Amino acid sequence: MRSGMPNERAGGPEAPRTWTSRSMGSAFQHQIFYTLIRILGRRGAYFVLYFTVAWYVLFRPSVRKRSSFYLNRRFPVRTGIQRLWDAYRLSLELGKVLVDRAVLGILGPDKLRCSLTGRDVLLSLIAEGRGLILVTAHAGSWQLSMSSLGNLQSPVNMLIHREPGDVDRHFFEHGEQEQPYRIIDPLGYLGGMLEMLQVLKGGEVLCIMGDRVMGGESSALTVDFLGGPIRVPFSPYKLASATGAPIAVIFPHKSGPDSYALQVARVIRVPENLGRAAEAYVPYAREFACSLEEFVAEYPYQFFNYFDMWTQPPSRPDSSR
Amino acid sequence: MDTKTKLKKALADELNLPELNAPGFDDDAPLFGEGLGLDSLDAVELVIVIQKHFGFEIKDMDEGKTAFSSINTLSAYIDKRLSE
Repeated sequence: MRSGMPNERAGGPEAPRTWTSRSMGSAFQHQIFYTLIRILGRRGAYFVLYFTVAWYVLFRPSVRKRSSFYLNRRFPVRTGIQRLWDAYRLSLELGKVLVDRAVLGILGPDKLRCSLTGRDVLLSLIAEGRGLILVTAHAGSWQLSMSSLGNLQSPVNMLIHREPGDVDRHFFEHGEQEQPYRIIDPLGYLGGMLEMLQVLKGGEVLCIMGDRVMGGESSALTVDFLGGPIRVPFSPYKLASATGAPIAVIFPHKSGPDSYALQVARVIRVPENLGRAAEAYVPYAREFACSLEEFVAEYPYQFFNYFDMWTQPPSRPDSSR
Repeated sequence: MDTKTKLKKALADELNLPELNAPGFDDDAPLFGEGLGLDSLDAVELVIVIQKHFGFEIKDMDEGKTAFSSINTLSAYIDKRLSE
């Protein structure tokens, strides 16, 4: 089970993350589900998942706590049994996504369908020749949906950090499947900025999560989301300004028992040469936040940030830049 | 104007870093983190400033990693590229 659970706040300006991508489950628990998928298929794994999630939600207060940050904002008037049900539904959807991801890797790509709405829009943006930045969020199964970008006729690069010791596998790590995208580590040299710049200059596609800050506070700015301020990265908008690359906001969601859909929510154009100050990029990050609000209004149980996005850092280094 | 002076002036003007031209500034100090205090996002600005003032793109980012160590290494890298 992937959590996004609160991290201890590390010292220093470059490590203030409040989330982790590490799975809550042990390697053994993951192996149980992988075995279930091999023997019983997706439905058999789902059957066990219903009870597993119920156990987690009922007997692990930390799971309810972690889901409450988002649910309190999305459903502010709900309490008691209703809130418990919300926590169950949210965690169940996340569990299904993780099962589906393993299904794709273990049983093969024909077991799940991934559609892309807005392919023509993306192709026309790529044809501009300045690269394309896809900004998405921890919604639906972004990993599965990204596999549908394979037919864009342009290499796809993803900014992904993997926690040391995370036992949860990417779907292509289960078997012999080809990795559908190249991974850039945001904790690599200079936050991967040079690599990102390079792929955009090469006209390639770069995918960045717009809802979590992966560098330090100096790479974040504040926008409103679901009625409160959150910190989001502004590197996508800065890269767009530096390279002239257009931005497409895309969100994936589970559209059926065995299907996922990836949709283009909006296109953002960032003027060139906006400079160093974070404030210059606020309008564009705000556009992303508005798109994300529209997404969670339509798919409330498919947004998986299990940490308090609304906690503000004690100081705002960017404000002085 | 030699390359290093031109580079320092360009960075001071474009990135608002007047300390670059202050007496006693250590040209071997790291550009990122402790030293000049640039952060990862500033790497993008650095590439753009070099393109604008010296007329070439840093396409091989592996070379960039070495070049971005300090003012001295960046200046030497620019000289090398301009002489090619």
